Amino acid sequence: MSSFHRWAGFLLLVFFSTGAVGAEDRTGYYGYGSPATKAEIAGWDIDIRPDGTGLPAGSGSVEDGEMLYEEKCAECHGSFGEGVGRFPILAGGEGTLTDARPTKTVGSFWAHTSTLWDYIRRTMPFMMPESLGDDEVYALTAYVLYLNDLVEEEFVLSYTNFTSVELPNIGNFIPDPRPDTHNTRCMEKCKDPGDIAIISSVLPAKASLVNKWQLEVPAEVLPGQVIYNQYCSICHKSGLGGAPILGDSKDWKNRAAAGMPHMKQRARNGFAGEKGAMPPKGGFINLSDEAVDEAVDFMVGANQ
Amino acid sequence: MGRSEDSNSEKQAKLKEISERREFLLGGLGLMGGAAAGSIGIIQSAGASSNLPPNVPAWTKTLGTGVVTNPYGQPSPFEADVKRRTVDWLTADRLASISFTPLGDIKGIITPSAVVFERYHSGLPQIDPNQHRLMIHGMVKRPLILSMDDLMRFPSTSMIRFLECSANGGMEWRGAQMDRVQFTHGMLACCEWTGVLLSTLLEEVGVSRDASWVLAEGADGSHLSRSIPMEKALDDALVVFAQNGEALRPEQGYPVRLINPGWEGNTCVKWLRRLEVGDRPWYQREETSKYTDLMPDGRAREFSFVQECNSVITSPSPEKPLRGKGKYWIEGLAWSGRGKIKKVDVSLDGGISFRPARITSLVLPRALTRFGIEFDWDGSPALLQSRAVDETGYVQPTFRQLRDVRGSSSIYHKNAIHTWKLMPDGGVANVQLS
Repeated sequence: MSSFHRWAGFLLLVFFSTGAVGAEDRTGYYGYGSPATKAEIAGWDIDIRPDGTGLPAGSGSVEDGEMLYEEKCAECHGSFGEGVGRFPILAGGEGTLTDARPTKTVGSFWAHTSTLWDYIRRTMPFMMPESLGDDEVYALTAYVLYLNDLVEEEFVLSYTNFTSVELPNIGNFIPDPRPDTHNTRCMEKCKDPGDIAIISSVLPAKASLVNKWQLEVPAEVLPGQVIYNQYCSICHKSGLGGAPILGDSKDWKNRAAAGMPHMKQRARNGFAGEKGAMPPKGGFINLSDEAVDEAVDFMVGANQ
Repeated sequence: MGRSEDSNSEKQAKLKEISERREFLLGGLGLMGGAAAGSIGIIQSAGASSNLPPNVPAWTKTLGTGVVTNPYGQPSPFEADVKRRTVDWLTADRLASISFTPLGDIKGIITPSAVVFERYHSGLPQIDPNQHRLMIHGMVKRPLILSMDDLMRFPSTSMIRFLECSANGGMEWRGAQMDRVQFTHGMLACCEWTGVLLSTLLEEVGVSRDASWVLAEGADGSHLSRSIPMEKALDDALVVFAQNGEALRPEQGYPVRLINPGWEGNTCVKWLRRLEVGDRPWYQREETSKYTDLMPDGRAREFSFVQECNSVITSPSPEKPLRGKGKYWIEGLAWSGRGKIKKVDVSLDGGISFRPARITSLVLPRALTRFGIEFDWDGSPALLQSRAVDETGYVQPTFRQLRDVRGSSSIYHKNAIHTWKLMPDGGVANVQLS
C-alpha cells in the first residue's frame, strides 16, 4: 500500500468513527409520503398500555355491561363466560394452570386489564370489529372482570380508576430462557434398545396411501357451497344468533314458504325475525348480491 | 374426352371432400381450445394403457392449447391433491383458523405462494392497495403516512426466509395426534420476500434515542398487534410487498406485511397498517393470553420469539408411503431461527444410531434447508427420525428432553425430533417414543 493510500485510509477511518459517535441523522432523507397529522393518528391509534396510556375518557358499569354482554357476546362466550363450542372461555379456571388441562381465562391467566380493554375495542364483537363506543368498552370490561369475581356488582370502571384493578396472574410471566434443552450430536449407541417403546401412534389416513395421480379429479364444487363454507357456516352450521341450521328442514320449510326471491332479499338486506337477526349479507358487506343468492340457493337446496 | 370429363369431376369431388374435412378439423380445433380453457373435463384417465409404449399417446398425436389459454398459470389438474388443508376441530370457525402447507409434496426449499399455510384471526380481508396506508408514529421526529407507491420507492432488498407459526406441531405435545406430515409440521413455508428494511423506515422517521420497542398492527378486523424489540426492528425485520417474485398473496398480507426472519409467524403482522415506536412493550392480547408458553410450575414465558432448530422427514411420511422393498431416497427439511443449518442426521432405529444426511439445497440463514439420504429397505419395520444441528451448535432435542423442561401444556415452540414408524406394508404411522 502506498503512503498516500495509507493516509487516505486513516482519514476515512477518522471520518467514520467520528460519524458513528454522532450517528448521522438521516431523518427525512428520502422525503417520501406525507406527515401524519394528529387527527389521522387519533383515528388509528387504538392501543392501550398497562399503565392506562391511550385510554379515552369515559366509564361503564357492571350493570350496563351485563346487558351489552348478553346482546353482543354471550352467543359465543356463553352467559357466564364459559365459552360456546370452541369459542374462548372468559371466566373461571382459577388454580388450574398447573393441571394437565389448564383453563386459561381473564381471571386465571391474563396479566393486564389494559389487554382486555384494548382487545374488546380492537376486534369485538367478532362479527363487527371496532364497532363499540368507548363507554360500551368500559362497561364490557367491567362485566368480564365481574364474571371473574374481580370486582363487585356495583363497580363502575372509568378512566380514573382503571389502574386500580389488577389481574391475579400478573406476577407469573417470565422472560424466555431458551435454549433450554441441551441435546448432543450422538451417532452410535445413543439409546438402550430396550428403552424404546411406542407410547402413542396415529395410523395414516386411508386416502393418503393412494398415489395422488390415481385420485379422482374432484367433482366441481358448487359456488354456493364455497360461499356457504366461507361465510355463512359460522352461524348456519351452529345456529348462532338464532340462524336456521343447515339441514334443519322444518325450520327452513317455514322460511322458504315466503318464496325464493323473498329469501334472497332477506339475505341481501338483513332482517330480524322471532328467533334472531341476520345482518345484511351476514355482515360480509363485500360479498356481491349474486354470491349471496348462490349461497341461498345452495342452503335451501341442501334442505330438500 | 368423356373419360377425361369423368376423371375431372371425380377430382373435383375429391378436392371438395378434402376441403370439407379441413374445415371440420379447424372447427374442431377451435372447439377444443374453448373446452380446455374452461374445464378439466376432457382430461383422460392416467390409467389408459393405450397411451403406453409401444402405442403413441393421444396427446402426442393431437395439438395442445394455445398461448394465454391460462393467462395466469395453474398447476396441472393431475396435481389437484397438492393443496392447503385444514383440521376443522382445531378452531371454532374458519375465520379465526389455520390451514397447512402440503409439505409432503413440495420440492426444494421455496414454497409456492399458492400453498403457503394460512392463519387468520378475523378472516381474509380484500384490501385495495390504492387506499391502503402505512402509518409510522409514536416516539419519532417525523410521523409519516406512506402509500404503497411511497413505500415501493425506498431501496428494497430480497431474502429467502422461512415462516413458521409458533403453534406448528402444537397438537402433538400430549401425544401423536395427526395423520399427515402436512398436519404435524405444515404451519411452515419458505419464500423469497422482497421489501424495505424496517430500519430504513425507522431512520426516515427519526426514532427517539429512548425508544426500545415497535408495535406492529394489521388492517384486518382483528387489528392483530405485536410488540417488537427495537434490536430486531433495526436488525433484519423487513416490510414486505412481494413474495416469490410477485405481489404478496392476499392470504400472506397483501399489499404489505412484516417479516421478522426466524421469529414466530405471529410477529410477522400481515396487512400491516401501523407501526408505533415506544419505550415499553404493549402487552397486547396476542403476546399475553396467547403466544406465551405455559410451564409446568404455572408460570408462562413471554416474548418467546425465536423458532428454534427443527427438522422433519417429508418422504416417507404418512402421505408418502413406500411401495415394496428396494432403494429409496429419504428426504426432508431442516430449519433454524438462529441461523444456518449445519448438519442433519437420520436414524432408522428410533434414535439408537444416526447417519449424517446429505444437504441437497442452498444453505441460507433462517431458511428451509433440504436433506436426503439413501435407504435400502428390506421390508422390515423401521423408526425413522431426523435431527438437525444449527450453526450455533444447538442440537434439536428429543421429545423427552423438551417435556422434561416444559411439560405438555405450552402449546408453542415444539421442535422435538419427530418419529415415523415405517410398517411392513410400506405405510407410515406417526408415533412418539418413550
